[in-house]
Order: sequence, then structure tokens, then C-alpha cells
Amino acid sequence: MNKGMVLEKSKLSYWLRQLRKEMSLIGPMRGENSDIVFKTVENIHEIVLDCPASIPSPKEFLFPQKEKMFRYSKDGVENLRGNKGRLIFGVRSCDISAITLLDRFYGGKFVDDYYMSRRNNTIFISIGCNNPDITCFCIGLGSGPFLSSGFDIQLSDLGDRYLVEIGSKHGLEIIKDFIHLFSRPKKLDYDDQYEAILSSQARFEKRINLENARQKILSGQVNDSFWEVVAQRCFECGGCVYECPLCTCFNVIDRPYSPTDGVRLRVWDTCLFKGFTKMAGNIWPAEKKIMRTKRWYFHKLIYYPEQFGKFGCVGCGRCTITCPGRIDMATIASKIDMGDRRRKGGGG
Amino acid sequence: MNKIPTICPYCGCGCGLYLHVEDGNLTGVSPIRSHPVNKGTLCVKGWNSFEFIQHHERLKYPLIKVNGEFKRASWGEAIALIASKLTGIKRSYRPDSIAIMSSAKCTNEENYLMMKFARAVIGTNNIDHCARLCHSSTVGGLAETFGSGAMTNSISEIVSAKVLFVIGSNTTEQHPMIGMHMLDAVNRGAILIVADPRKTQISDFAHIHLRHRCGTDVVLLDSIMNVIINEGFVDIPFIRRRTENFDAFEKVILRYPPDVAEKITGVSSQDIKKAARIYAIEKRAMLFYSMGITQHITGVDNVHACANLCMLTAHIGQPMTGLNPLRGQNNVQGACDMGALPDVYSGYQKVSESDIKKKFEHLWRRRLPSRPGLTLTEMFDSILDGKIKAMYIMGENPLMSDPDVSHVKEALKKLEFLVVQDIFMSETAEFAHVVLPAATFAEKDGTFTNTERRVQKIRQAIEPVGESMPDWKIICALSKKMGYNMEYRATHEIMEEVALITPSYRGILHHRLDSNFGLQWPCHDLNHQGTPFLHRKKFTKGLGTFIPVDYIPPAEETDKRFPFLLTTGRIYFRYHTATMCQRTSTLEREYPECYAEINPKDADSLGIKGNSMMRVSSRRGSIIVRAQVTDKVPEGTIFIPFHFREASANLLTNPAVDPSAKIPEYKVCAVKIELVESKRDQKD
Repeated sequence: MNKGMVLEKSKLSYWLRQLRKEMSLIGPMRGENSDIVFKTVENIHEIVLDCPASIPSPKEFLFPQKEKMFRYSKDGVENLRGNKGRLIFGVRSCDISAITLLDRFYGGKFVDDYYMSRRNNTIFISIGCNNPDITCFCIGLGSGPFLSSGFDIQLSDLGDRYLVEIGSKHGLEIIKDFIHLFSRPKKLDYDDQYEAILSSQARFEKRINLENARQKILSGQVNDSFWEVVAQRCFECGGCVYECPLCTCFNVIDRPYSPTDGVRLRVWDTCLFKGFTKMAGNIWPAEKKIMRTKRWYFHKLIYYPEQFGKFGCVGCGRCTITCPGRIDMATIASKIDMGDRRRKGGGG
Repeated sequence: MNKIPTICPYCGCGCGLYLHVEDGNLTGVSPIRSHPVNKGTLCVKGWNSFEFIQHHERLKYPLIKVNGEFKRASWGEAIALIASKLTGIKRSYRPDSIAIMSSAKCTNEENYLMMKFARAVIGTNNIDHCARLCHSSTVGGLAETFGSGAMTNSISEIVSAKVLFVIGSNTTEQHPMIGMHMLDAVNRGAILIVADPRKTQISDFAHIHLRHRCGTDVVLLDSIMNVIINEGFVDIPFIRRRTENFDAFEKVILRYPPDVAEKITGVSSQDIKKAARIYAIEKRAMLFYSMGITQHITGVDNVHACANLCMLTAHIGQPMTGLNPLRGQNNVQGACDMGALPDVYSGYQKVSESDIKKKFEHLWRRRLPSRPGLTLTEMFDSILDGKIKAMYIMGENPLMSDPDVSHVKEALKKLEFLVVQDIFMSETAEFAHVVLPAATFAEKDGTFTNTERRVQKIRQAIEPVGESMPDWKIICALSKKMGYNMEYRATHEIMEEVALITPSYRGILHHRLDSNFGLQWPCHDLNHQGTPFLHRKKFTKGLGTFIPVDYIPPAEETDKRFPFLLTTGRIYFRYHTATMCQRTSTLEREYPECYAEINPKDADSLGIKGNSMMRVSSRRGSIIVRAQVTDKVPEGTIFIPFHFREASANLLTNPAVDPSAKIPEYKVCAVKIELVESKRDQKD
């Protein structure tokens, strides 16, 4: 499936308004100052499309930071999983690539009911990035700036119109009732899209080669003294994991309201905390910070490719923004790749 | 799903964050990317700051103690009871028999109202808050030297500085986002000097780490100044033009050459000289300090020494310089600014000056007391002396935070009437006669002032849980019941009154705080854009005053019976008395129990191994903690965080206070350590 349509920009808000009648519409809106945040769209004309990366990633709509799982009482268990119909508009290509991987993780051998319930009720309209941020490096990973598959609907901004590509059944459903708004694409439209892709690709400031970094690690060229310096800079804030569109860890906690009833919650967790692997008997298997920071990179660079054939990173650049110690994926991977002679991690 | 921009409720950095709200539930937090302090980052506490808000243990309705047990009450009953009790005590004794603790966790508006309530409604100046325990030495000390007790420069300047001198601050753990700016500066080539007896994360990045003995800060700083004077790095034109009392100061400094200091502090004279030269030569040099300087009986002296150092080298009144005390609580700066202190009204206007008192009397239409009230540390002594009969505590937990807590407990038990207004049933609240449920930062509007004097708006994200109410509404209701009408429709009306009567806040009104993340006071009129750095061209008080300081040893030194020094502090995953973070699953999990850092050599000599339990005792009490054997602490010194109810470090600490600031000496006391033989029944 990958059908193209053309939508004049002036018709976008009408289309969204009609779709909003069926499900709640979430899109990139102005936050404080120059911030962009995804939230419920009150006024469609306030959507900001050509924007810097939002924090956190749209995984929050499928896997929220705090989620009620179920309520239990003497009368039984009430499932509280989210199943609200949602249309998430204006998501970036890298995030769509990440969600495709999340689907494989949560919907694979062990199906996560809570994630899948939200996932099946959510439709994404993504947009190719004409102006990548300075922190972006999806280009080296094939996860952006434009996608050829994996999306529900992908828009390409062609100046006065959008090229609308339909990539899934869900995508088709939200178009077919409004087909009168769209026109058939001409060759010129595809030419313009190609031009937009080329121009976008030329604008990337960062070229990070994760494969080289992986090879260097696998061939034993990165020793622990490197990771020691990386770990030293880690603030243990968990930000990289919280923001990462591909990190999936959570912790399960109970909130007993009374001896007979309560709620079970799950909250985002991170492997960077030593309590994450704490065991009974006061055993802390990963007490040293170096073990934990190293594991995060290894998971993304080594274990993910082994499991899914893809890196656990889509180059969205969020950890570059949110890491106070400046030991984000882009910085560290390029340091490994460059083979920094001094073998120093982090920083400048 | 909505995202409400607001300010983090933990430390004094004042990071901006969004609270994510869906159908009245908080589902998460994310950082504000364009915020000048955190720039899209948060620390672990910030990232998890939403979880405690809708915790099931929140206080949801007022409680009145009947026969030793709390019974649910209506707001009407609770307010009526408090009003009649307080009025009764005020009549049968006198207004000064009531003491009030305001809160550095509450908004500026609430602190202003609380101080108005104490002074106009009760008629006492007995109002104080936890700034007494953290930066009262700064507020007083810098007022004497510069005329203004606040961080002189701004956080966003740090990254462009060339030298950072950090003394007594574990910055990356306690002010993480300021630590981030510091590391960025180091990345860009700045030299970092850290003075701290402990090894901390920030000291790992230091070019020079001065590990002086606890309590010898004055000697260290004096000897640094000695080097600066002797080697001719003094900025003479600056001293002539802008300061006074240099000669008296110089005489004292000459008594502290580096080799004398080496003997007292344990820092090599070479390192002292190096640090002095680096700090003095570079123009863009910022000095930072925190609890390691203030929490001593010589807290004010330490602050004076820091101020002297800045003036001596003219590192003040310019961008990327200055003396920068890092404030610990989200709104401790604001609570001080609003006059929740026994001797000043808002904007540090002295209660003892009759013109100022008259001004407030006109505005509030009440006669006001002119004698400064009791400080927080004096309040508990006064209860035991029978002078204080009733206490009103808003959002504080002295039973965990104050030194020698067994003494505090005794005092609380003796009170005729105690009201605690809090978000959770704290250790202190259990002793109260009436407990009032307050709203958290996510459930109300108002402003917080961060450590760099930035007044920022917080915004209501959800409705208050249960029947809880914002503190300002509670104070208004109580005040009305006591016959003094406080009527405000919203918090911006309170701020308007603050601006009217407070010169440094005159231009700070809510509608001006919406763009650009607030304003930094002083802000003198409605067109003023705020002040990023203080003392430009002229000190607030005119000339800067050198105040000579001599070394006074800590109140309690080690001896044969108590051979170890105990120093206390905070840890990254916990916050103060832990009322909020112990209800946050991730934070609680990381450090579930108290521990003590002990040097490997000391551990060896006592037969202590990692994870063995040891009994730590001082002259005041004793606790059992798990040993963490580490060279983070120097020999002869142990470190215990004070957050834990089960092993409260403040059972041990010395209540000796600085003579003028009345800040207790949390950082030094003498203890002994014994190994507790391991038994099966010990807590794992």
C-alpha cells in the first residue's frame, strides 16, 4: 500500500476538523517561547508543523509515563487500559520509525496488552522534515527525514500543497470519506517531493555512523577506561531513557487505597538507575555507574541489532538536547567512531 | 491531553517543566526546552515530580485530634477551632506566645500572606522558615557586606565564565542543572576549583580539589586572600572606589599565610597558592557556595570571607563574576524576599525602622510589633521555657530537618496548640492538634523565586485533591475568621499588594511574568526588565564592607570519646525530609535506607566492612546505619544524609548555632562509631 494523493494546504484544517469529530486530535502546538509540545489541539490553525523536535517523543501516547493498569477490589479486577481513539498529527519520520520498532517489541512474542490497546486506537499522520534540527541524525539510520513505508499517512510539504501518502489500512480509512478534498498526484508532485527530500538531506549538520561505532565496540577497540569517563559525566537523571522513542522500560507499583482495594500503576523506568536491577537480599548487580551507562549504549548499539536487525536509535536527537552530562548517543557514537586517541568520553 | 508549563517544586534551580494532564490525571512531566535554566533537561527529581501529587496518602480533609486520635473534620470546624484557640492564647498570654513557621515550598504570595497573618492578625514577629537552617548566614552576612543577600549573578552566565570556584557545594547532585552549566563551562575551557572535604561528582571534574577539614573554611579562604595580597593581585582601584574597611581586614588576613593554613586545613600550601592565583588573575571568575559554607557556627564568618574574596579581586558587579550562594528550596529565595523572617518585612525592610513599620501599618490598617521576633532555632527553646504556647507550621517538617530532633520532639509535645498545614501526614503533623490539607504546586497558581532571583509563575494543572486547598486560601479563611478581612480573588491580586509595598518587586506583576520565564528582581517599575547581575557600579548599600574574620573552631571537636567528625547533607535521589520523594517510586527505590560513608582506613581500624551495620552516637543520640566504605570521605570523617526517618542524622547533630544568623552547625559534630554484630533479624 503506498498510494499518493495531493491536498491543498488550505484544505488541511477542514479535513482535520472533520476527523476530530471521530477521535481526539493531538498535534504540535506552541508551548513556552519557542517550544513545541504535542497536546490536544484546541484551535487547528495553531498547529505548528515546521518545528524543532518535541520533548518527549510521541511514545508517551502509546506508553505514558504513568499509566493505571487496573483497579482491584473485593469485587474483582477492573482493567483500566487506555482505548481512546486518537489522531496524532504532525509526528516526525524518526518517531514513526521508532513506533514501528516498538510495535515489534510490545506486540511480538509477549504481547503488551496496554500498549497494543492504545496502539490499535491511534492513527498517526506524519510529516517529512524539510528542515532538520541541528541535533538530528536520522539520515544515517534510514529512519528519516522521509519514509517510504511504515507510516499510516505521510505528508510531504511541497510549498502550497501536501503530497499525502497512504501507508496503512488505518491511513486509508481516514481519507476515504473525504476523498473529494484530495486530487490525484501528477509527476510534478513526485518531482517536487524528490527535490524536498534532497534539499532536506543536504541540510543535516550531523552525520553519525552508528555501524562504525558498533564495529569498534565489537572488535574490542573501546575499553572500559572510555566508559569510565562517560559514566563520570552521567547525572543519573534518566532523561535519555524517558525521552527516547525506543526505550521501553517500566516499573510496576501498587497503590493500596485500603487493605482491600487499590490500583496498579506502571511508570517509566530506566536501566540507568541502580535500583532497576536490585534483587532480594539487598543485592545490587549493577551498582557501579559504568556498568549501567555502558549497558544503555550496548543495548542500543549491539543488542538491538541482534534482536531486531536495527539499531535501538532512530537519530531523533532528543538525548542530545536532554542530557545534562553531554554524553548523548550522537556525541558518544561519534567519539567512538573517530577513535578519539585519548579515549575520553563525553563533553567537548 | 494538555501540557501546563510550570516550575519544578524541588531545588532552587527553578527549572521549567510541563505537567501532562489527561482527564484530570497527571500522566507525566517533560522539560521546557527554551527555559534559560534547564534548557530541555531535568534531574531525576524533576522527571519524577508528578508522582507524589495524586498519591493516595495525600491529606484530603482537615483533621482534628480528639483524645489522641485524628478525626475527620469540616473546613468550617477546623478553621473555627484554630481561630478560637489562637485568639484565646493571644488574649490569655500575649501575641508573642504564638510562633509561626512559613514555608520555602510555598509560593511568594502565600509567604507574603503568612507574614501578614503573623504580623497583622496575630501581632507577632515570631515568623521564620527553613531558610534559617540553610542560608540565614547568607541573608544576614551579605546584607552587611553588600547590602543584598542573594545570588549576585545569573545561571546563564556560568557557561561563559573562565574560572569557577565552588566551595561547600555538591552542585551536580544538589543543583544538577547548575552543575550542567558548570560542566559546559569546563568543556569550553574554564578552570574549576572545588573546595570540599568530600569527593563529589563535581570534584571529579575539578582542576584543583581542595579537601580542607570540615569547619576550617575561614582559614582556607583567608589564606587564599593572604596569597592574593602578598603576590599583588589585589584590585586597588576597585577597593579604593567601592569598598571600605580594607585596612582592618588586611591586618587579620596577614595572620593566615598558606603554611599556617596548611596545618589547620590539611590543604597543601602549594594548592592554596595555585587556587589563589587562578581565581585572582582571571577576570571572569565566579564563586559559588552552598551549605558547606553556611551550616556552621561560623556560617556568617564564612560568608563574609567569601564576600571579602570577591571584593578583593573585584570579581563582583560584572557579568560572569560574583558571589553566588545556591539556594536549596524551590522558593527559599522568595520566602525570604516576602519577609517570612522575624526581623524584616517583604523586600528586607526592617521591622525595627519606624518609617517602614508605619508604611505597613497604613497598608494593613493594624498596629504592628516593632521588636524582631524569634528565629526558628530559638522557637523550640522558647517552647520549653514556656514562652511559646502555640505554633502554626505551614509546609515544614522540623521534626526531621532541625538539629537534635529529640529536643524538638519534646518541645512539640509541650505545646498547648499546634497547627500543621501540609500535603502529607509528616512526622511533625503527627504531633499537631489540627492538621490542614494543603494543595501542591500543581494545584494552584502563584510565583516561585529561584536562586538567581528569577520570579517565575507556576500554574494550576489539576483541581486540588480531596478537600485540600491552596495555602493562601486557607490563610485568608482563617484570617477572616479571626476578624481581619483578607480578600483576594486570585494570586495576582496578592502580588499586586506585594509590588505596591516592596521596592525590589515593584515591577513584578503576574502579567509581566508570562513571557521570557519571569523577571529577576530588583525590578523597580513596570518597564524595568529585571536585573541579571547585582551591584553594578555601586553596591546595594553603597560601599562594600570588608569584614575581617578570624578562625573559630567548630563548636564540637573530636576527642577521645567521640573521635570522628560527622558531616551531614543531602543525596541526589532524595530531598530534605523526604515527604515528597518517599512517595515517588523511582526515588524511593534507589536509596531505600540510610547509610554512612566511611573511609576505608577508618573502617579497617574498626573492623567495619561494606554493608555492615554500625552504631553512630553523639552526645545527643545514636542511630544504626549501614556502612558504605569509600574514599569519598577523608579519614576521620563520616557522612550521613539526613533524609531518613528510621535513622535520622539529626538525632546526632549539634544544635549549636551561629551567634547572629542562628543557623545550626549541621556540618560538624563529634561522634563515635561501633560495629554492630550482624544478626539475622537485622533489616535487610
